[in-house]
Amino acid sequence: MTEAEVHAKVVELITPFSKNAEALANVSAETDILQDLQVNSARLVDIVLEFEDQFDIEVEDEAADNIRTVGDAVKLIVEKTG
Amino acid sequence: MGMRGRAALELQRLASFGLLLLFGPIVVALCRWRWGYRAVDLQGVRKRFAEIRSKHPGPMILCTNHLTLIDSIVQGYILMSLPRYMTQVSALAWNLPERKNFNQTLAWRITCYLGRCIPVTRGGTLAQRNLAQDRMRYVLNRGDMISIFPEGTRSRSGRVDPEYFSYGSGQLLRLVPEATVVCVYLRGTQAGGFANYPQRGERFHVDLKVVTPTSESRGLRLARDYSRQIIAGLVELETQYFASTEHGQNHEASG
Repeated sequence: MTEAEVHAKVVELITPFSKNAEALANVSAETDILQDLQVNSARLVDIVLEFEDQFDIEVEDEAADNIRTVGDAVKLIVEKTG
Repeated sequence: MGMRGRAALELQRLASFGLLLLFGPIVVALCRWRWGYRAVDLQGVRKRFAEIRSKHPGPMILCTNHLTLIDSIVQGYILMSLPRYMTQVSALAWNLPERKNFNQTLAWRITCYLGRCIPVTRGGTLAQRNLAQDRMRYVLNRGDMISIFPEGTRSRSGRVDPEYFSYGSGQLLRLVPEATVVCVYLRGTQAGGFANYPQRGERFHVDLKVVTPTSESRGLRLARDYSRQIIAGLVELETQYFASTEHGQNHEASG
């Protein structure tokens, strides 16, 4: 998968958990998942588990803790699948 | 966590115990006489909790449903008698409040400190999370209790939501897997439900259940599996409560 495809898939997976449709419409690599997209911190765990299932990867606790932005997630997934 | 961190927690533990000697009787008096709080079969609940604690003297996680702002106080008032709090340093459970709720004023920060709280920052930095987890691990490993609300927030519906909840309780159990998990179902039998504070004269139903979550998963999935089983324990206690009220069981309050 290209980075753009991963980005699109990441946004798709985050969408059901986001409470800010406007931020979601203008999402970029710098968009903060918790602050900008207003995802509940507990649901961030669900999102990371979705990443694991959809991309067939394993995300360690520390790596999961470092995911703040959409770009962080994309970078991690690209690294894991690359 | 370094020696200074451990010493700070030990100091906080002793300071909160010292404060309890001073203010414990006042809090109990407020609960009992000013607010008129009672519990259904108070002595029976305390006896059952004492039996559980006696059987599981090590690390313990109290997982309570969350309906009002003072659930921790009411729970503490009901589960153990004042003399036990005043004679056992470990009797008072640690609490895990959201930092922003207690960081507004110095008075609240002092209250949080002396109330044996370990503040947590939702969505905080890795360093903040690691520090909070180190503190939780330390107090549990020394045999203390931590009280946590597995739902992660007060239930607006007044019921335990089996679908939408935090995974904090599972994460906590991951930190100290040998900890005993006790589900505590606490609910006012008169007004009950979601509120800032229980109404005056409220009488509380309290039920306890030791649960032993298991899972073959690892990492975050393990925390989620544990949390689901803890929430299931609370849902079971809630179901039993409503079944008993539908059958018109008359609970006589005491305490």
